[in-house]
Amino acid sequence: METKGILTLQFGHYSNCIGTHWWNIQEAGFEYNSSDPSEINHDVLYREGLTEKNQVTYTPRLLLVDLKGSLRTLSERGDLYEPLPDPCKEKSRVEWQPGHVEVQSTSQYEKNQFHKDLEDPEKAEQVAKMTYDFDKGVQVWSDFLYARFHPRTVNIVREYEHCNENTPFDAFPLGTSLWRTPAFEEDFADKIRNYVEECDHFQGFHMLSDSFTAFGGLASGCLEHLRDEYDRKSILVFPVIPSHFPTTNDCTTAQSVINDSVRTVNLALSFNQFATHSSMFVPLSTSTRSWRQAGPGRNFQYIDYDAISPYNTSAILATALETLTMKHRLRASSNFCLSDLAADLTLHGRKAVAASLRLPFAMRTGETLLDNLDQWQGPLTVAITPNCEIGNARMMQHVCIRGIPTTRLKKPVEKAGSQRELPAYKCCTVQEMFQMYLSFVTDATASHVTTVNKPINVRAPFPRIFDAKIGANGDLLPEGSSRYDNTAVEKIATVSGLHNCSEIGDMLESLHTETRRIRIPRLHQFTNEGGGLERDDFEECLDNLFALRENYEDNYVI
Amino acid sequence: MAISLLNPKAEVARAAQALAINISAAKGIQDVMKSNLGPKGTVKMLVSGAGDIKITKDGNVLLHEMQIQHPTASLIARASTAQDDMTGDGTTSTVLLIGELLKQADIYVAEGLHPRILTEGFDKAREKALEVLEKIKIPVEINKETLTDVCSTSLRTKVHPKLADVLTDVCVDAILSIKQDDKPVDLFMVELMEMQHKTETDTQLVKGLVLDHGTRHPDMPKSLKNCYILTCNVSMEYEKSEVNSGFFYKTAEEREKLVSAEREFIVQRVQKVINLKKQLCDGTDKTFVVINQKGIDPMSLDMLAKEGIMALRRAKRRNMERLALACGGVAMNSLDDLQESSLGYAGHVYEHVLGENKYTFVEDCRHPQSVTILMKGPNKHTLQQIKDAVRDGLRAVNNTIQDKCLIPGAGAFEVTANKELLAFKDTIKGKARLGVAAYAEALLVIPKTLAVNSGYDAQDTIVKLQEQSRLSAEPIGLDLASGEAINPKDRGIFDNYLVKKQIINSCSIIASNLLLVDEIMRAGMSSLKG
Repeated sequence: METKGILTLQFGHYSNCIGTHWWNIQEAGFEYNSSDPSEINHDVLYREGLTEKNQVTYTPRLLLVDLKGSLRTLSERGDLYEPLPDPCKEKSRVEWQPGHVEVQSTSQYEKNQFHKDLEDPEKAEQVAKMTYDFDKGVQVWSDFLYARFHPRTVNIVREYEHCNENTPFDAFPLGTSLWRTPAFEEDFADKIRNYVEECDHFQGFHMLSDSFTAFGGLASGCLEHLRDEYDRKSILVFPVIPSHFPTTNDCTTAQSVINDSVRTVNLALSFNQFATHSSMFVPLSTSTRSWRQAGPGRNFQYIDYDAISPYNTSAILATALETLTMKHRLRASSNFCLSDLAADLTLHGRKAVAASLRLPFAMRTGETLLDNLDQWQGPLTVAITPNCEIGNARMMQHVCIRGIPTTRLKKPVEKAGSQRELPAYKCCTVQEMFQMYLSFVTDATASHVTTVNKPINVRAPFPRIFDAKIGANGDLLPEGSSRYDNTAVEKIATVSGLHNCSEIGDMLESLHTETRRIRIPRLHQFTNEGGGLERDDFEECLDNLFALRENYEDNYVI
Repeated sequence: MAISLLNPKAEVARAAQALAINISAAKGIQDVMKSNLGPKGTVKMLVSGAGDIKITKDGNVLLHEMQIQHPTASLIARASTAQDDMTGDGTTSTVLLIGELLKQADIYVAEGLHPRILTEGFDKAREKALEVLEKIKIPVEINKETLTDVCSTSLRTKVHPKLADVLTDVCVDAILSIKQDDKPVDLFMVELMEMQHKTETDTQLVKGLVLDHGTRHPDMPKSLKNCYILTCNVSMEYEKSEVNSGFFYKTAEEREKLVSAEREFIVQRVQKVINLKKQLCDGTDKTFVVINQKGIDPMSLDMLAKEGIMALRRAKRRNMERLALACGGVAMNSLDDLQESSLGYAGHVYEHVLGENKYTFVEDCRHPQSVTILMKGPNKHTLQQIKDAVRDGLRAVNNTIQDKCLIPGAGAFEVTANKELLAFKDTIKGKARLGVAAYAEALLVIPKTLAVNSGYDAQDTIVKLQEQSRLSAEPIGLDLASGEAINPKDRGIFDNYLVKKQIINSCSIIASNLLLVDEIMRAGMSSLKG
């Protein structure tokens, strides 16, 4: 069977947090000794490799970019292909006059308990069941990284430092000019080419980008390159925005206002680029509003999460990503690919698409899907695209359901009782039933449903954000009982959707309005040095956003 | 503003404080970099928090790796790395000289001299120094010997002499093979390829091209002799046109039909290549290689493999140009009018596999005007070190070809300029001469540091050199092996004219600018802490 490979690109720290959870979730779902092949074709996002010692490796087909100082205990090239060099041995290997070799080491970071256990062959098996205090201990994404990477995966920007106010990487033009340095235009582009070259049927790119910082500019530079070099491949972009900005309380009001403006301009400039060059882009955030300051977080039933912690919020977005991208990663859909997804969802030039999520999709033990949907009040999913409340008229949508097997669809005929009266009783698959459900709850919407039987694995290092009403197997516990404190939820069913709806126009309009109010000449980040942004470019970007917004207006098209 | 009117001292204090900040930053970064200057400087091994290692002696690399917090220091660092971007050498010298100019200026400023007057002197001194540079430059013939001298001088300050000699040969040969009479050399036509394998001294020049990928079909030949090379940028993979809907409307059969119709189009493309191969190679001992910038899917690979054609997909964009220069022929954007004249030739094309990495060598070209430096090393940090050195070596050679002249090395220029500037000082009226004196003194930091790094006394050495310099008409430099004065020309120690000129210009300007700073502001708001 032909595998249609996808290359994933992650730009920026929050993107990497989401990515880390995403790869963790996927690896938790690997089945090594199973007789029936998994529904998901992992080869789409992963690649098989060979070390020089002829050991087979299986690593994400991934390139990620972050700033200097953001890795802590993770080594840049990893130790999968060769052991980490020993400084003392290397020092003696250096051919130079003795006494003229100077070692400068930064203080070595101590690995956290999670990583220590992973390295210990006796404990490594148990890690998924252990309890670690990630909520307090996590500083950077590598702290909760389970997956292991290929040596070319991690790319560090040397020019800027993580969390250093003296060398902020905060404005879009800094990113675009960084792309034009040899480290990216040549080395990084070569790495992309290496990955694409080895795929027999390459279908396209997934790109996660911190578009509120200069990483938006870097991602845009990369996007233009991809369009140039791989013209017909699809590129699915996810601009991601955290639900909290650390500077809110930590600096003066004046500085905070400037930071808010800078972020908003970055987002506007990035969206403009994504609308031009991507096949489709889906802004993701767990807060209701993202321009300037982050608004209050979205509420998910049965989830109790800390909106300030990127470790928590990124995990929620990662489950959405894992579910949304299912359709073109399933074994069963070998002739469906990224370009089909994008072509259907971006009709009429509506390149921006909204996403939504229901996490967890919890049913009571013994309850059937038919009853659950019949009794469910309110919208099926919660929007995870900022400044966008998804209404009922959606024109086109793609919904993926994970973790509901056909056995839980409906009661058998002999026990059905009143269920038989319901029109949905004639549905024989989860897909049919959801299709029918969606046709009832939405107007004038073409829906497409994908189903996957296996639930998502949410073992450690996934955060413990599920409240006590959810049992270890992801079911809703009976009224009055609750899960023991020290047990973790292991798997969970989810529903996630991509929607082409008119409310995205509202999102674009609000971004346009917010950006229009900002006086760009007052933001020196955009005008000097990086040199990038001319006033006209900025005006053009605003006009483009406005034009894009108009694509969402015609209520009569279908 | 109101405060400064009431309290005139506030302004002065601020000015002096700003200057003190700049000077201390410049001194700080100078201290860090001092020990790497010259062939006897120290090698630094940098170990990151996670245990990654970097070994370097190159100032430019160090500045990129260092975590510089201070804004002035990072300004100096940027100016110095810009020096490297332009010329490929002289980063450490730039840092040292800026630091020393500020140090010397500090002495006069402390005695009440206005920085503005000092900078006037700096500017006069700069012009004079450039005159001296013109005077002592040595016009050279571009031949292997001269280029080897200058390249080796530069590389010996960056890597071990044994390795420096290997790399010097490689760099000089590379440039000489792609150089065409009087045309400027395009350094991009030297491909740098890494191979984690063997040891650093196995680094070699390949007179042809090495690609970092190989064939992707089990039956494809892995080695061919006497090959036609077709370079093209034409997709040979089936891609669905994006207009058809994936969710709806299409049944499996409809899809199949569509696929086979679109597929046929690609098959015909591939057939064109096969036809040409049959026409040219069948019945002869010639073989056929396709190198494509776009993709080739397994079905197309299969067709090509059956004909014994070796095909590579997704070649670097720049390799299209390089292949045309190395093998002849033209890179084709369409296969419509394919002719023998558009093909290149290589005597031997073969694949080399290292773990999961494949390399394809295109060798024995007739007149290669694009070559590859194949860098080898046992680990990543050694390879990186070689790569940095090779880049600088190539630039040193190329600078010489552009300048058509060289400057005697080993501190000779600095000693000579110091002598001339001290004489020049007396011809200047007014306090600006103090600036010239400071400049003359500052230049000596280069020979002084060279001496200290080699284990000699700075003052002893300078006195020795100045004495010799007074007696001799030729520029005098320092022999690091003996600590004695020598004529660098006799030892083949040369620096690039361009590098020195750039150092003089950028150091003077940056030092002057830093001197004239009288208030440090931060992010649009003035910060009292500085």
